[in-house]
Amino acid sequence: MKVVPSRSSEWVRPVRPQKPASAIIEIERVSQVFQTSTRKDHVALSDISLTIDEGAFVSILGPSGCGKSTLLYVVGGFVSPTSGSAKIKGRTITGPGPDRGPVFQEFALFPWKTVLGNVMYGPRQQGVRATEAEAQSRALIEMVGLKGYEGFYPKELSGGMKQRVALARTLAYHPEVLLMDEPFGALDAHTRTRLQNDLLNIWERDRKTVLFVTHSVDEAVFLSDKVVMMSTSPGRIRDIIDIDLPRPRRRNELLLDPRYQKYVVEIERMFDESDLIGSSS
Amino acid sequence: MWQVASLALKNDSFPTAIEAIRAIPDILGDRESLINILASLRRMAIGFGIAVLISIPLGLLMGRSRAVAAFFNPLLMIIYPVPKAALMPIIMLWLGVGDVTKTLVIFLGVSLPVIYHSFEGAKAVEEKMLWSGAAMGLSPAQRLVRIVLPAALPEILTGCRTGLVLALITMITSEMIARQSGAGNILFNALDMGQYDTVFAMIIIVGAMGICLDAIFERIRARLVRWSEPQFDMPLSFS
Ligand SMILES: Nc1ncnc2c1ncn2[C@@H]1O[C@H](COP(=O)(O)OP(=O)(O)OP(=O)(O)O)[C@@H](O)[C@H]1O
Ligand SMILES: [Mg+2]
Repeated sequence: MKVVPSRSSEWVRPVRPQKPASAIIEIERVSQVFQTSTRKDHVALSDISLTIDEGAFVSILGPSGCGKSTLLYVVGGFVSPTSGSAKIKGRTITGPGPDRGPVFQEFALFPWKTVLGNVMYGPRQQGVRATEAEAQSRALIEMVGLKGYEGFYPKELSGGMKQRVALARTLAYHPEVLLMDEPFGALDAHTRTRLQNDLLNIWERDRKTVLFVTHSVDEAVFLSDKVVMMSTSPGRIRDIIDIDLPRPRRRNELLLDPRYQKYVVEIERMFDESDLIGSSS
Repeated sequence: MWQVASLALKNDSFPTAIEAIRAIPDILGDRESLINILASLRRMAIGFGIAVLISIPLGLLMGRSRAVAAFFNPLLMIIYPVPKAALMPIIMLWLGVGDVTKTLVIFLGVSLPVIYHSFEGAKAVEEKMLWSGAAMGLSPAQRLVRIVLPAALPEILTGCRTGLVLALITMITSEMIARQSGAGNILFNALDMGQYDTVFAMIIIVGAMGICLDAIFERIRARLVRWSEPQFDMPLSFS
């Protein structure tokens, strides 16, 4: 078996082959140029094209500052690209919408709301009845392992707990595409593993499309159908690697699987090769 | 007020504390004085209330929109350093010496700190929080009311607290300039007539009003922003 870098968007769902995958997100020649305070142009993204199939779990892997967050913001509709365009289901993205649910690196919880209030916010905004929204939210809070903390304010939570609330808050309004920016970066190894498993379980159940930014090669291989490797200055796509591992994935089985190990080693080697990992945090 | 006190200190007829305190029930018992004081409080409440209702939305809009900020900033920069009481003679020419003038002065006194703190509070709202709201489907107006407003509330209430103290100060000064009715009127008339026990009693009454209002406001504030108070006290060491 060898890792084949490919730019093709086609991939086959390993476990349940369904109708041929159709593109849900198309990023077409997106560039993002920022004006720095010294009035110089800074190219954060350079000519990025990427197609994400419906129901796919796609990771974006790259060193710090290569534009991963920026790319996610473009898909989220939070910033409009300097040139190029992003589309969801064929429609050009012009702004944020509940079909794309972000989980930010900075959590961005509402500090004046309790854990429950934060998680209920989206469903309530979407017009779900209070009792129903509350029941769903309580279940989600339990799922992310925060049962008993429903009445806590964000300031009373640890960083990892905040991150879990942020995840639950976004899952609560059922976006079609999850945009996750290093959601497990701040967690301890144990919680991280648990949440990775939980995320996989959720994903394998409802097959939401996930665009997942991470620094961790293991995490990217473990979770993804496809790993997009980016390089820095200017931010470009360096390689796209299809991860052809069976699902449902079980961590204890996968860690022993030579195919998994090979992906990890290969991708890490590719990182080192171009010294991409150098400045990564 | 402390200038008044120091003036009085040089005077032979400086009343003892007991005399001043004795005068308090007389003033509060007197129907006319009471009506005067209540009229003052009413003006203060109206001036403060209108100022807060206008200043908070304005400050928040300025904090979130460059265009709004660019439009109002020059205006506020001009008004900011001017003592509001100094505007009174001009306002009196337009609106007379009645309630409207005095309420307007109180309004002006309260507005600036509330606008400023609302502006700063709105500016500091984390962008990702607004993005999260937008992704949930909140419109720009909803984001202003349901995200910027609560997120900036601690800062806004700090402004309101300053505004409340300024309301009391401008209330007394306005009545000093336009003597017609009110607590300030009683105070300064008594001063003119050398009734120093009344002067001191009024100072105590006004001071007590200020302390009470501030304490009540502080309780409301603490309750509203419990979620934002720091969790740990930073130990201060004075070595
Ligand atoms: N608002 C902005 N103004 C100017 N430059 C910006 C802005 N946002 C991002 N950049 C620049 O764009 C580049 C990419 O930033 P981005 O946050 O997308 O990186 P990242 O890959 O997410 O990094 P990390 O892994 O550290 O989160 C960086 O060099 C950064 O300095
Ligand atoms: Mg980032």
